[in-house]
Parts: sequence; C-alpha cells; structure tokens
Amino acid sequence: MTTLLAALDTSPSAAVVLSTALQLGELTGATIEAVHVREGPTDSPEWLAAQAGVHLRVLDGPVRECLLAAVGGVGVVAAVLGARATASGRRRAIGGTALHVLELTDKPVAVVPPDMTQATEPFRRLLVPLEGGEQSSAPIIDTLCPLVVADVELVVLHVFTAATIPPVMDRPNRDLAMWGSEFLARNCPNASRIELRTGSIASRVNDVCLEERADLIVLSWSQHSSPGRATVVRDVLTHATVPVVLIPAR
Amino acid sequence: VDATRFEAIIVDSSGWSVAAAGLEEALRARCDDLRAAGMVVHDVDSGDAAAIAEIAASLAARGITGRLIAVVGDKLAGHGDVPELRRAVHTPTPDDDAGFDSLIRLLDHQLSLRADRRVPAIDDDPSWVVPLPTDPVMDRVSEALGTLANGWVGVRGRREDRQPATVSPMLVSGVYTDADGQPRLLAAPDWTTLTVDVSTDGSQLLDLRSGLLLRRGRVLRTLRLVSAARLDAMGLRAEGRASTLGHPAALAPGDSSTPIEVCTAPKIQAARARSSDGGGITVAVQDHENIVGKLRVIERLATVAADQRSVPDWDRVTNQLDDLVATGFDRLLADHREAWAQRWANARVDIEGSPGDELAARFAVFHLLGSTPGEGEAAVGARGLSGPAYGGHVFWDADVFVLPALAAIHPAAARAMLEYRIGRLPAARRAAQAVGLAGARFPWESAATGRDVTPRRVMGTGGEVIPIHTGEWEEHIVADVAWAASEYVSWTGQPEFLHGPGADLVLDTARYWASRVTTEGDGRGHIRGVIGPDEYHEDVDDNAFTNVMARWNLRRGADLADDKGLASEAAGWRQIAASLFDGWDAERQLYEQFAGYWSLEPLLIDQVAVPPVAADVLLGDARVRGSQLIKQADVLMVHHLVPEEVEPGSLRPNLSFYEARTAHGSSLSPAIHAALLARCGEPDRALVPFRMAARLDLDDLTGTTSGGLHLATMGGLWQALAYGFCGLRPGRDLLNIDPQLPSEWSALALHLLFHDAPVRIRAEHDRVVIDCTCPLTVRIGAGRPQSCRPPGHTFATGDGHRHPQRTTP
Repeated sequence: MTTLLAALDTSPSAAVVLSTALQLGELTGATIEAVHVREGPTDSPEWLAAQAGVHLRVLDGPVRECLLAAVGGVGVVAAVLGARATASGRRRAIGGTALHVLELTDKPVAVVPPDMTQATEPFRRLLVPLEGGEQSSAPIIDTLCPLVVADVELVVLHVFTAATIPPVMDRPNRDLAMWGSEFLARNCPNASRIELRTGSIASRVNDVCLEERADLIVLSWSQHSSPGRATVVRDVLTHATVPVVLIPAR
Repeated sequence: VDATRFEAIIVDSSGWSVAAAGLEEALRARCDDLRAAGMVVHDVDSGDAAAIAEIAASLAARGITGRLIAVVGDKLAGHGDVPELRRAVHTPTPDDDAGFDSLIRLLDHQLSLRADRRVPAIDDDPSWVVPLPTDPVMDRVSEALGTLANGWVGVRGRREDRQPATVSPMLVSGVYTDADGQPRLLAAPDWTTLTVDVSTDGSQLLDLRSGLLLRRGRVLRTLRLVSAARLDAMGLRAEGRASTLGHPAALAPGDSSTPIEVCTAPKIQAARARSSDGGGITVAVQDHENIVGKLRVIERLATVAADQRSVPDWDRVTNQLDDLVATGFDRLLADHREAWAQRWANARVDIEGSPGDELAARFAVFHLLGSTPGEGEAAVGARGLSGPAYGGHVFWDADVFVLPALAAIHPAAARAMLEYRIGRLPAARRAAQAVGLAGARFPWESAATGRDVTPRRVMGTGGEVIPIHTGEWEEHIVADVAWAASEYVSWTGQPEFLHGPGADLVLDTARYWASRVTTEGDGRGHIRGVIGPDEYHEDVDDNAFTNVMARWNLRRGADLADDKGLASEAAGWRQIAASLFDGWDAERQLYEQFAGYWSLEPLLIDQVAVPPVAADVLLGDARVRGSQLIKQADVLMVHHLVPEEVEPGSLRPNLSFYEARTAHGSSLSPAIHAALLARCGEPDRALVPFRMAARLDLDDLTGTTSGGLHLATMGGLWQALAYGFCGLRPGRDLLNIDPQLPSEWSALALHLLFHDAPVRIRAEHDRVVIDCTCPLTVRIGAGRPQSCRPPGHTFATGDGHRHPQRTTP
C-alpha cells in the first residue's frame, strides 16, 4: 500500500492542501494520510481531516525536521505542502519550510499555491514542461509515470529559447509537429501530446497551463535553490495557479 | 582471422616446400571447394607485381577489398602499396606441417561459414563505414541514417528486435496512398523483424562501399542488404544464441494505419498493403533456419512487387521469390557488392586531409545514389526513401539540389527524375490553364499524379490552423524544372534530349512565364505575388530569384524554339526576358531580393543568434517578415544556378550582404553558401557552412532526421564539392575547372561522368590531375581551353590561373 502525505498547518490554505492531496490520491491510487506538526492548538487540522475522512497524525518537534522525516517514511510515495509564502502580503515563490523539505527529500512533492481554491474536480490534465535530455525526462519517466494510475492526459511543454532553438527548420509549420513527435519519442513516450512555445520558460509554462486548463504542473528539478539556480522553478511557483509537483532529478 | 568470412583469398604457393607436397594437394582441393562455394581464389607468384595489382583491382571492382581478402604468403605481405590490399589479412607462408595444417583449418572454416550460412563480414574500413548511434533514444535517427536503398526500394536501418516499428520501415518509390486527402508514400509490409528474447545491444555499421548494414553485438549479429543488382531483392542473415534468437517473425504492418493481408504457403510468407488508389506493395519472404552449435542461424530472402495502379498478386511475388531462392544469398550478396562498386566507380569522393569530411561526403553520395532508380521515372521526395516526412512529396529539392549531382555521377537516375517531370506535363498544363495562363505550371509539391499536393493548411502543435501558401505562390519551381533539364544536358552532353523528350520541359515552362509576366506602366515586366526560396517573406513582388530564373527560362526556351522553327514565339520570349525587372540596384551593386526589401528593418543575423538558427521560430513570423533576415540563399541562389544571368562581379558584394542576413534556417542553404564562398576565393570560410551541411543528418541538427534524411542537403553538399571547391562547370564543349581548396585539405578527388565518359579530377593546392578515358577539353581557371587526352594530364593551378569569380562557360 502506498501513502500520500498531506501536510496540514493551521492556515487557510490547509483545506486546499488536503483537497489537492485527495485528488492526487485519485490520480495515484495512494491512501491519503494527513500530518500536522504541533505548534499550538490542533483543532483546525483535526477538523479538516475528520471532514475528509482522512487519518491525521500529529507530530511533535521542529516543524521542518518532522515534516521531512514524515515524507521520508516507508510507503510514502509523495507529499503535498502549502507554499505558505505570502507573508506581508507579497507573494514569494515558496516558504522556508516547504523549501527545506523540497531540497532534501527524494520524493515528489506537490506545492499548493497560497491563493488557490480547493480542488474539487479530478485531476485529468497534467502539464509537464521538459527541456529534453535524460536529466529532465528521467524523473518524469521513472517517477511520475509509474505513480499515475488514473486515465490522465499528459501534456508535455517544450519552450524554445535563443539557446535551444532548432538550428534548422525547413518548414516550421510542418516540421514542428515532426520535431515534437521525435522529442516525445525520446523524452516522454507516455505523453498524450506536446505543446511547443518560444520565449521565457516560466512565463510560457504558466501561460500554457492557463490555456490548457491544466490541473497540475509537473517539473523535475535539481534541488538547488541557491541564487542563480532553479530560476524556472522559482518563477513557475511564484505565478502558478495550480499545484506544482516537483520531482527531484537524481 | 578465424572469425572472419573472407570473400577472396590470394595465395602465393610458389614458396611452398616440396616436403609438404601431400598437404599441398589437400590445400588445392580446399581451394577448388571454396571456388565452388563462391569465394574468389587466386594463386599468384609474389614476384609478379603487375598480376597482383590487377587481381586487387579486379577484386575492388567486385566490391571485395581490405579485410574481406586473405593473403597467404610472406612475400605477398610486401605488396602493401597496392591500395586495395593495404588492409587485407595476411597469413604467413606455411613452411612446415603445422603451418599447412593451420592453413587447411582456415580454409575448412571458410567452407563451413558458407555451408552454415553464417553472417558474412564487411570490410570495416573507417573511411567507408559509418557507425550508427547506439543510444536507444536515437533509434529513429539511426534507422534513417542506416537506410539501405536501391533507388526503388528503401529499407530503414531499424534494429531487427525493435517492434513494433514506429516509422514505416520500408518505402517504395512512387507508390503513394491518400491519407486525409494528402498523398503519402505507402508503408510496405515489414519483413525485417526477428524474434529476440532479450533486449539486445550491439553496434550497427553502415558500409557505404557495399551498401550493407552490419549489426554486431554480444547476443545478435546480422547483415542486411537491399540489392543494387536486382531491384526486387532483399536479404538478411542473422545469428545469435539459440536460447535468445527465436524463429523469424511474421510479416507485419509497416505502420499502424496501413493494414496488411497475409498469405502463407509452405515455406513462404507473403503480405500486401493496399493504397487508396487501387495500387499496392506485396512482399514475400522465405526463411532458412539452422542450428550451428549453440547458434541459431537465420537466412531470410525477401522480394517485393509494387504498383501505383494495381496490387501485385501473390503469384507474381511467389515467382520472384522462387527465382531469388534459386539465386541464393551468397550470389545475391556478391552481385550486390559488385553493383555498388560500379556505382562508386563514377561517384567516388576522396578528401585528403580530413577523414571526417570525406566520410560525411561519401555518406551523402551513398544516399544520393540510393535515392533514385536508374530506369523508368523517379519521384524523388525530399527525404528520399529513408523516411515518411512530407509524405514523399517531390519539391524543387529534387530538381535543383539532387539532380545536378546525379547528372554527373549517375546520369540514368537524373534522366529518371526528368522522366517523372515529363510524365506530369499534362497535369502541369492543366494547372496553368486553371489559373488562366499558358504553358505548364509544375506544382510546388508533387506526388503520383502531378497535381499540386501542397497542403493548404496544417494543424499546429497547439491544434491551431496554420495556412500554407507555398503551393499557391512558390512558382519558381516552374523554372527550376527547366533548369534541371538543361543542367542534365550540360553534364551528359545529350542535346537531343532537349530537342526530343525533354523539349516541353523548357518550352512549356517558358510559355508559362511569358503569360505570367505583366508589362506595366514603367515598360518593365513584373512578376507579382510570389514566394522565393526565402520563405520568411511571402506574397512578395519581383522576387529576384523568381524573376531571374524566369528570364533564364524564357531565353533558354527561345533558343530551343528557334531550333524548332518557332521564331515568332522565340522573339516574343526574348523581348519579355529583356524587359523583366530583376532587382539589380546599380548604385548598391546589389540585387534587391524583392520589391521593398531595402525598406525592411535592417536586422543582421549576428544580432539575433549564431547561425544556423530557425529565426522564424525564435522571433515569430511577423518580426522576421518585417526584417531583412532571410531563411536561405535567395539572390545568391541565382549566382549559383545561372551565373551567366547576373551582373559580372556581383557575386562578392551580394554574398557579403546577404550572408550577414542569412539564418540558414533551411537545410538547403549552407551548402550553397559553401559553394559560393569557395568561388569567391574563401575556401577556408566555406568549410564552416560545408560542415553544417555535412553534419546535418549525422548530428540530427534539425531534430527531424528520424523522419528521413535531407536529400537536398546531400545534393547540395556534392555541389559544394564540385561547383564550389573543385570549381567545376559543365559547358557545351568543355569542362571548366577552377579549384579552391581549404588549407585543411591536401586534395579533393571526384569521380564523375562528363559527356558520358568517366573523368577523375584530383585537385590539389597547386595543380589539377585529370584522368580520362576519352579526349576531353578543359579550361583551368580563367585560362584557355586545353585538350586532355587519355589517360590524362596534370595542369598547374598557380596564381596566374586563378580567377576571383567563377567564369561562365
């Protein structure tokens, strides 16, 4: 049996985290378990879990370490965290707790944006931005695809930049389809289709997410968030309106 | 040595000791047996150097070289200066009983390799063998690179255990089917799949010299051929551990949208795929299987019959197969090797000083030779027979890029391409008539019928509808077809072609332009609303390339019309040609690519990216359309194709101007720039675009090689070598030669046919060596015509012989 953890705090976004976890449970076939690290009264997470019929495990100790240990538990295949990064009214990519877990876990973690509304519909369309190459595609093929048991549409997005634009394209109106098909064959054979765009990767990810009405964005990442690294992940998280699943690239 | 199957053995028995006389008899018996089994066996005196050289040459003419030859005898080892024997496998003269025993074992082993139908070897000469990518993600690229084709049938180099095929493994020239209103080459039934229990590895080696694909791995070894000697025949041998390699697989559909009908008879399997037009492709195979120790050895002989209008019946392929089985794999292989040796005799490229450039050039010529049959008619699609991209549609790629190369190295194939156009003249005439014009309008994209099959729209990757205007506006194809016919005559020296079957290719296209040009108030002729080779700019007026090519077409047509007694029509065409606006800007000493081009945003490619780059994908169509960035050689293409039609001395300034604006976003572009840079006396700079073209498919620069090889790039590459670095220009009575070699190369040698006679041109930095079998007139650089008598002549090419820009014949 596999378990998907929903990390509930006492903020308003905890309900969204839980609803997201429930939909991800449908997607993966995993059982949902809620966890809460006690910092004060636990009424709110207890009530939320009870309403959803989900078992809640209350943990005591430092929040970051407790959460990280819970995510690393046996049978846990993924986790859902709130971004919790809207302090002082200014939206940031991600809060410190979530970032700590994301950088150290070896499991996929879904980050729920702070202003997202509750997920009430099943997740059926996943947007997977891919650079191409084994490092970006292996986590999707090896980690994401085996996890998903539901019938979903996997839409790959590749964004051309000045550095990655195909050098030669005889008839783009026809060659791009060919190029995309070959890209999928090499990088994500399980995908339903591919979208190709040009420009800033993060902007295009969020644009296409809206155009496609994607339910989730799935990104592989290097787990390094030091300045100058993971800029795409940071930008996507800052502007995303749907949960973003980050899969460590091993 | 023991593991290799040799195709020839050269023995010097003169030194065999008398003491071994009894064994000598046994050896001679083995040699007789080997001859009977198809091996070439020569007994030669090591002192007879001429005989040895002759034997080596005769073996090479049969495609038997290097590691396929065993040489027995100490003194024969001294003949390493015979090129064909340089890589032969030498064994010492036996001088005692043990030595003779060893030699007998070697010969016995050779006999058993043949009797057991084991997988033959190739001569793995690195200058002729291309290792294909081994990374599984590159499988489809590897398949395209490893295509074996004989001009009529193309079989991709798909690994035999990869199933199902994701790209049609086999295509037949000219056999199309309709899919969603668009013709595409019909996917033939797949005959190449083997049943293998485990995922197998191993390298694949494409032997360019002999047109063979060898796979050698720990688990599986295979050799495949598509016969160059007999167009309907194909063969495969495989061997692997019996626990791993299963029985041969059944014939399978070539792709998921093309069902097949299967017919099974004792020992034979056959399958056919039907086209939407009532035609089809039928394939039949017969397998032979045996166990040798722990190995299972499979031999599969396959034959194909195809027709655009009717489905070949079972009896036909069964009869073909019976005949093929009677011929046998070894004979088929020997004939195939010999046929490829004959092909290369007039097509070989040697580049001394750069093995990488040489191999890439040979790779291109190999696929050019395989793309087109040497008889009948040839619909040569943009990706040849190596993949399904563009449905196998025929573009100007065939006429302007592929045909000139074939006219020089395989004229019968070039003729077949022209026959394809001749056969579609009625459709081209109807197309002209449909838009109220005279003559013949060839379509931008053509397939079986000759009607325009350019899609009017495609669905973008996001499901959006994208209109395509090339079918409507890219009219220069009309003049391109006429130019191809003329260039064919220049190389082959067959003016009767243009006075006979090819006449209408020039006359009806001239008639088209005469009706298409409008004379306006300025007294000049104009052609409005076209797309030139630079497809970044659509619906433009007076595209220089289109207008100059139309002018050339009108003048060429007028010359021909005069010969045919059509003086009045000829006079009219000359008048229109003289009035035709060509964009020449005397003040700038440049051709304006089209009306209004000077006023566009003066963007340079360096300001955007390092070429090559798909600038339209990067910047978007609107931005590129409003700028001077261009996709490919356009004005410069005129300098390449019809230098006699441009202002004298205009190449250099135009090359300088347009090179700075060219994205090389088209695979057709780099080779032409290489040719022109070389003509401008900048061969070292020319190497950069030359290598872009040379590596285009080998490095999958487009990301679309999986859909087939870029045949026009390969034709362009040959043109860069011939017209560019070698400075060749075929004239009516002479061959112009003006070499410009990059400093990195010490020599460039091309084998070709000029006016039906084999010529070998070897260009070095200070001289040209010409070998010929018939008297030939040449002009070196800007010099006077000189005669060159067999067997050839060496000409100095010092500064006094050079000319800054190619002279026109």
